[in-house]
Amino acid sequence: MNMVPTIGIETHVELNTNSKMFCNCAVVETENPNESLCPTCLGLPGALPVPNLKAIESITMLALSANCSITKNGMFHRKNYFYPDLPKNYQISQFDLPVGVNGSLEIILNETKETVEIERVHMEEDTGKSVHKGSGRIDSATSTLLDFNRSGVPLVEIVTKPVIKSSKEAVSYIEELRQLVIDLKISEGKLEKGNLRFDANISVAKESDNELGVKVEIKNMNSLRSLEKAIDYEIKRQTKLIESNEVIIQETRHWDEDKEVTSSMRSKEGSADYRYFSDPDLPNMILTDEFIDNIKKTIPTLPSQKRDKLSETGLSNSESNYLSKSEEWIYNLFLETQKLTNDTKSTFNLITGELQGQLRKAGMEKLPEWLTSEKLSEIIKMINENKISFTSGKEILTNLIQNEMSPSKYAEDNNLIQDNDSDEIAKIVKNVIDSNKEVVERVKDGEEKLVGFLVGQIIKSSKGNINPSIAKDLLLKEL
Amino acid sequence: MNVSNLSISEISNLYKNKELKPSEVYEEVFTNASLSESIIHAHLKLFQDEATEASKLSDERYEKGNPLSDIDGIPIAIKDNINLKNHETTCSSKMLSNYVSPYDATVIKKLRNNGVIFTGKTNLDEFAMGSSTENSAFGPTKNPWNPEHVPGGSSGGSAAVVSVGSAVASLGSDTGGSIRQPASFCGVVGFKPTYGTVSRYGLVAFASSLDQIGPITNSVEDAKILYNSIKGHDPLDATSIKESLVEIPTDKNAKVGVVKELMEEGISDESRKEVEKTIKLLKENGNKVVEVSLPLTKMALSIYYLIAPAECSANLSRFDGVRYGIREAGSTSYEMMENTRAEGFGEEVKKRILLGTYALSAGYYDAYYGQALKARSAITKDFENIFKEVDYLISPTTPTPAFKFGEKTENPLEMYMSDLCTIPANLAGIPAISIPTGLSKQDMPLSIQLMSPARTDSSLLEFSESIEKLLSFNQRTSLLEDMK
Ligand SMILES: [Zn+2]
Repeated sequence: MNMVPTIGIETHVELNTNSKMFCNCAVVETENPNESLCPTCLGLPGALPVPNLKAIESITMLALSANCSITKNGMFHRKNYFYPDLPKNYQISQFDLPVGVNGSLEIILNETKETVEIERVHMEEDTGKSVHKGSGRIDSATSTLLDFNRSGVPLVEIVTKPVIKSSKEAVSYIEELRQLVIDLKISEGKLEKGNLRFDANISVAKESDNELGVKVEIKNMNSLRSLEKAIDYEIKRQTKLIESNEVIIQETRHWDEDKEVTSSMRSKEGSADYRYFSDPDLPNMILTDEFIDNIKKTIPTLPSQKRDKLSETGLSNSESNYLSKSEEWIYNLFLETQKLTNDTKSTFNLITGELQGQLRKAGMEKLPEWLTSEKLSEIIKMINENKISFTSGKEILTNLIQNEMSPSKYAEDNNLIQDNDSDEIAKIVKNVIDSNKEVVERVKDGEEKLVGFLVGQIIKSSKGNINPSIAKDLLLKEL
Repeated sequence: MNVSNLSISEISNLYKNKELKPSEVYEEVFTNASLSESIIHAHLKLFQDEATEASKLSDERYEKGNPLSDIDGIPIAIKDNINLKNHETTCSSKMLSNYVSPYDATVIKKLRNNGVIFTGKTNLDEFAMGSSTENSAFGPTKNPWNPEHVPGGSSGGSAAVVSVGSAVASLGSDTGGSIRQPASFCGVVGFKPTYGTVSRYGLVAFASSLDQIGPITNSVEDAKILYNSIKGHDPLDATSIKESLVEIPTDKNAKVGVVKELMEEGISDESRKEVEKTIKLLKENGNKVVEVSLPLTKMALSIYYLIAPAECSANLSRFDGVRYGIREAGSTSYEMMENTRAEGFGEEVKKRILLGTYALSAGYYDAYYGQALKARSAITKDFENIFKEVDYLISPTTPTPAFKFGEKTENPLEMYMSDLCTIPANLAGIPAISIPTGLSKQDMPLSIQLMSPARTDSSLLEFSESIEKLLSFNQRTSLLEDMK
């Protein structure tokens, strides 16, 4: 029996506006509770909401970038439910007229381009935070502390259609969305800070059924790792139930990070009726053509556009994907250096491997200003022309990160220029063969992995000035 | 000097000419309040110390010849659903009986900047839901004309204090007639401005799309002065309008329509006769008066009792005992919230929350709330069309003069009927005013209502002033004289 999982993801993105969605309170990052409050975000009697224009610009930019149709005459609705950290006991959200509908995001799954269809993109306000003492849940807490700093912070909710087929695809989608909001500069996009929070709707059905199975919502996944594990767990759980002809209950389940299982939340939400109605405190959200056009003008190069550009250099989809999700300066450095070297592979490897690794080791977040694409291409060219070994290239890079200097001059000053004179090398090869007779015999008997050992010996006796591939060629010829 | 017979502009001129001091006027209205409160219970709180001090500061400003405005030193009472910093805002509810507001409503800020003396907070039907103040958790207000009669509601306290002279003017709020109906019952002027011309920021919401703050005064001129000092766009209220007011004829060229449906069944002869009397005066004045029909007004009450409760069901959700107000213990957070709401809200409030919750529920929304919204826009359209033919509309303010206590508490539908003539203006968002016209056989005040197109507030007030002159009714309640 073939089982088909279907996944839809709802993501909340916290915008990086200075002030909250409906009041002038600053959005703060602090451990001190209840520091940034006013009558509006505390739900005091008589206080009214006034929409944050910056947030509406941000969501419009996101919706446009996710290829959505924009609702020009939208509105805010009240979503009614009682919860102690929801000050008004309704959340200002959007219902049937969200800012964006019917969009899509391109993602790279392994080496393939896939499209994740987006159902809607809407604006809402965040709730406060509850800290339940005595237990993690409201029902069994001995006391609950409330912090309203987060209350009213602007959130964008992005809902996909039920089109995702695997946990890997789900992770890839979140990575893409995260990069998008970072590139658009509308959110910090930090998962560990809760800037992106996601719920997954998962159903499993027999392939022959031609319709979706019973939908189960999973909450409380706060990392990509837990998203992946929770989806895999849930697919397995539902598959097992179907195979043993048991009933799957439509419910909300909680991902237990420690036990790595989902468990039923027994929440009242299953039967929740949010009684949505348009918020009479807020006029309709009219997005004029002029407004939309102005937003369009400010949209930077999107991750998918970056990938298209990268692919033109000959990078594979996954390599392009990697660079499209790297920092802006790495992306630019690659393109500039590649242009100079015209060697995509070496440029990609040196930047994403050696350079990024060394910077990380040195605790540096950015390149020193003297480390230009010209200098980098100089190193790559020297390696490619067999003037220096890759090891020497690494050494030059290490020094270049610390000091401004010329890579070729450094190579000369430090005797890194390789001896490419075959006669000279042949002598060394011969010496190595003579002094390692036993090993040579074993290579001849088929122990090919010992070739590496011999090459190593050759390089050692040349003090690193022999190009390993030339050494290997000569060695094999001799044998 | 008997301040009660003076208008705001007369008082203001006496202040400027140094013939009268704000502290003297305040002292007189405070004396009136101390005398009348035991009978009519119109105030929930008197700010004696604070107001005395404010009046003395105002004295000094006039002394130096630099008052803050033309209403500097005018004692004004505030309905207790409007927030005044560092004072209780109870909304006449047990729920908020201990709630002290940390901020000023926009209208309060404006009045404060103009040097007004706040005399105290006035009684209302709990959360402004009612037509008699009988729904106040702190006991009803009595009508100063006859304490056996209700003062109307929900701004019953605000109307009664002006009527009896314990404030020169007051602010009320009007969701379905809550300014005009009590003004009518108490023989004073009540004005509900165009929706959005006065900021709602700081007014505890009952039904956000209908609520509007407005003045209750002794004369139309006073209403105009007070309205001009509280109106204007407010960046804190997203529904407040930026457009300026428009003008329509206010002289004998003004064309008046009599709303047929508001002169028919359900309207007492006494109320109807006041309209007829006014029509006669208008015609003599040279104004053209025609009968017009607004058939949908017959549905206004039904529409209102879907929209207002629906909005209130969400607006009043925030009262849960979590952050402020009273709190009733419970073994879980939810139980605490349930117990608090069960204890904190009165019967009428609960009834309307239930009604609204039901109207918004899945499966019922389309039939009830959705339908009501459609009908509301149809009524608004009807008004727009009728105002292409006439400049103003005239009707009674209330179907009957003030009724007696308990008379309608057993029959909520009859109670709701008392807002029959006032609700349409809230649904359409247009301005409307109640002007006293005379007394009933039982010596209770009678009135007429005038309505005009949206944003013609200034014209409506000007036209009303001329009608007020034609009517020349200026009788006051004799409650205080009887007591003295
Ligand atoms: Zn705030």
